[in-house]
Amino acid sequence: MPEANTILKPEELKPAAELARKTLEQLDAILLGRTELHRLVLIGIMARGHILFEGLPGLGKTALVRTIGQILKLDFKRIQFTPDLMPGDVLGTHILQETSSGKRELVFQPGPVFTNILLADEINRASPKTQSAMLETMQENCVTLLGTTRALPQPFFVLASQNPIELEGTYPLPEAQLDRFLFRLLFESVDAEVLDQIISGRRRGELPTPTWQMERAELEILFQTMGRIYLPRPVSRYIARLVSATHPGSAEATAPVNRYVSFGASPRAAIAIAEAARGHALLNGRPSVGFEDVKAVAQAVMNHRLILNYQARFDRMTAAKLVMELLGQLDETGLNLPKDVELAKA
Amino acid sequence: MMTTHSHALQIFARKLAWLLMLRRAVRWMSAWFFVCGVLILAARIAGTPSLKWLALGILMCVPLAIFAALWERRRLPAFNKIRASYDHLEKCGGLLMAEETAEMSAWHAQLPAASVPGLRWAGSRSLLVLFVAALFVAVTMLLPERLTHLGHRSLEVGKIVDQLQAEVQTLAQEKIIDDKKSDDLQKQLAQLQKDASGYNPDKTWEALDHIKQSDSDLAKQAAEEAVQKTESLTEAETLAQAMQQAADEGMTAATASQAAQDLESLLNAAKLEEGVLNGKIPPELLANLNGLNKEQMEKLVKAMESNKNSLGQTLGDLAKLKMIDPAMLAKLGDAGKKGNSDELAAYLAQCQGGNCDSEILFSWLRHKGGGRGGPGAEMTWDNDTSEKDLKFQEHALPPATQLDAAQLVGVSKAAPELSANDIATGHGALDNAAASGGSAHAQAILPEQKQAVQNFFKRDNQ
Repeated sequence: MPEANTILKPEELKPAAELARKTLEQLDAILLGRTELHRLVLIGIMARGHILFEGLPGLGKTALVRTIGQILKLDFKRIQFTPDLMPGDVLGTHILQETSSGKRELVFQPGPVFTNILLADEINRASPKTQSAMLETMQENCVTLLGTTRALPQPFFVLASQNPIELEGTYPLPEAQLDRFLFRLLFESVDAEVLDQIISGRRRGELPTPTWQMERAELEILFQTMGRIYLPRPVSRYIARLVSATHPGSAEATAPVNRYVSFGASPRAAIAIAEAARGHALLNGRPSVGFEDVKAVAQAVMNHRLILNYQARFDRMTAAKLVMELLGQLDETGLNLPKDVELAKA
Repeated sequence: MMTTHSHALQIFARKLAWLLMLRRAVRWMSAWFFVCGVLILAARIAGTPSLKWLALGILMCVPLAIFAALWERRRLPAFNKIRASYDHLEKCGGLLMAEETAEMSAWHAQLPAASVPGLRWAGSRSLLVLFVAALFVAVTMLLPERLTHLGHRSLEVGKIVDQLQAEVQTLAQEKIIDDKKSDDLQKQLAQLQKDASGYNPDKTWEALDHIKQSDSDLAKQAAEEAVQKTESLTEAETLAQAMQQAADEGMTAATASQAAQDLESLLNAAKLEEGVLNGKIPPELLANLNGLNKEQMEKLVKAMESNKNSLGQTLGDLAKLKMIDPAMLAKLGDAGKKGNSDELAAYLAQCQGGNCDSEILFSWLRHKGGGRGGPGAEMTWDNDTSEKDLKFQEHALPPATQLDAAQLVGVSKAAPELSANDIATGHGALDNAAASGGSAHAQAILPEQKQAVQNFFKRDNQ
């Protein structure tokens, strides 16, 4: 719990909130029709989390990642994952080179992972071996090869995408790796109105150049401000209860959870929710996290962390539905009022 | 602004506390009313006489409600949870929650306008239950008694009670019991009929049997008394009539005086004014029995007749209710039959100088003068016992030697002498007769026996 003087004052929060607002404006201006998605992506960035995009080809996943890189003035690289992609292709490799003195030595050639923003396109097409190569980079932000650990440039984000169709020949991401993604965001098709704007306003779909870019120092301010967003105790308790309730058999688990969930969300999920909720609060210009911030990010955080059983598959139950149901059922404040007593906004 | 939110938060917390306490109190009161109702109903069905304490128990709902509210007060949610709820409901975005840690006055401007969140209690069901519970208690208290005794199998004693009430009424009418006792018995009977239960009939039957036995005893006592009084009155009446006749035939004054004394003793023996059945002879007549003229004597006879009729009427009423044995009524009839006063009048007339024997007089009155067993009754004999076809066992007589050894003391030709001791005071011809010694028993022969004795000695002539 932060000290009394660590809670942000309005004048301290305002620059960061302004930066976030500007970033969001740029995103919304460049990529049309995905305001809510943009907010979550920005929250993920501010929370220094990795994001897994899931959507059909051509919906603008790469464009989004590229635009973020441009706005944040961060280095951006893309890897198209294929079954024959090797870990060295991602992490880098040692190459025998002759120096100017004529001596031969192994020189490390960094892979595309050495960047600020890595777009791992169709990550589920790579073999498990290659996928696992991403584990250390995503969690530790470093790469260890031949006993040498090399830190990745900061900030480091993996923005991966996977195609929900054409699943033949793919390797579904293991739970351990899925758990490392802060969000799993679904890319859905935009409506006709947006499509019309895209067609009429952008020749060959070329994206406009950002009119404003965030400086590195400004990004640091954003990260520092994020760290000072206050998480009240009732809210943290709510997050803990929410994550705990995803475990079948727990005290507050709902009937659908007990019926459909094999394994609930991990403690990393609780941390992710707390961080994402901070980002949501900052985006809304508040120095403290409220229950609504948690609700806004909970589904994106947990929808890839619940392991459902076969019964859920038979009943077409999804993790997203379960989380929504849980958010509706669980009393945020833990007042435990009797069922016949209700609170209502005046 | 913050002050306003703080104030609104306080109001909200207070409202929530009151609502929860009220809700708890309503629930406990409902439960208490149901418990009270069940207890009262059970008590009434069980026939508990006093429901006062149970009714007072209903008033316990007030302290119970207070206790429930206090109990709920201790279980109220923590204030930080209430603040979190307020923050959430008012969409304060955690700013109010952060206030517990830091000074947030700089953010007041960012907060929405303060308002006290609403509290909705779906209490209609709880209040309905409370209403039903209160109604239940009221119904259990006001339920008619006949409905609370549905489980009782009443004991049908109406017929017996009616009969006993009639008996008591008759006893009271005949003055066998006084009015107070009659009222008590009627009340007892009414209460017994009311309390009669098929579950415990012994008590009722025993009580009814006791009253019936008591009535029967009184009736029996009255009947016996009536018979006795009637008997005495009949004797007195016969004597009075004989005295009237004898006076006409020249009864001496001495004999009249003696007869009047006997009449008085007979009336005294009747004890008309004692016992359960009271009769009365005019006292002016009783005071001067010796000097009654003919009219007064007739008046006396009528008074005795009236008393006898009254006694007969009483016994008749008792017999109608089967309170006495019908034989007792017949006995009364026998007791009321007068003897032939002519012979007694003749006897009184022949007595000279007041030498009439009272014992003879009373005996005659007891036997109602001549009759089948009186002195004038004819004697009859049956045929001799036939010895035909009878076989007698022969016994050898003892040898005569013993007779030879007997000693003749002497033969007296004179009449035996009687000493005073030889006159028997008791009955029986051979009483006090000595086996030897030359004495003989002499028995005084009563007038009524005289004719029988004479008939005995004249039998050969018949």
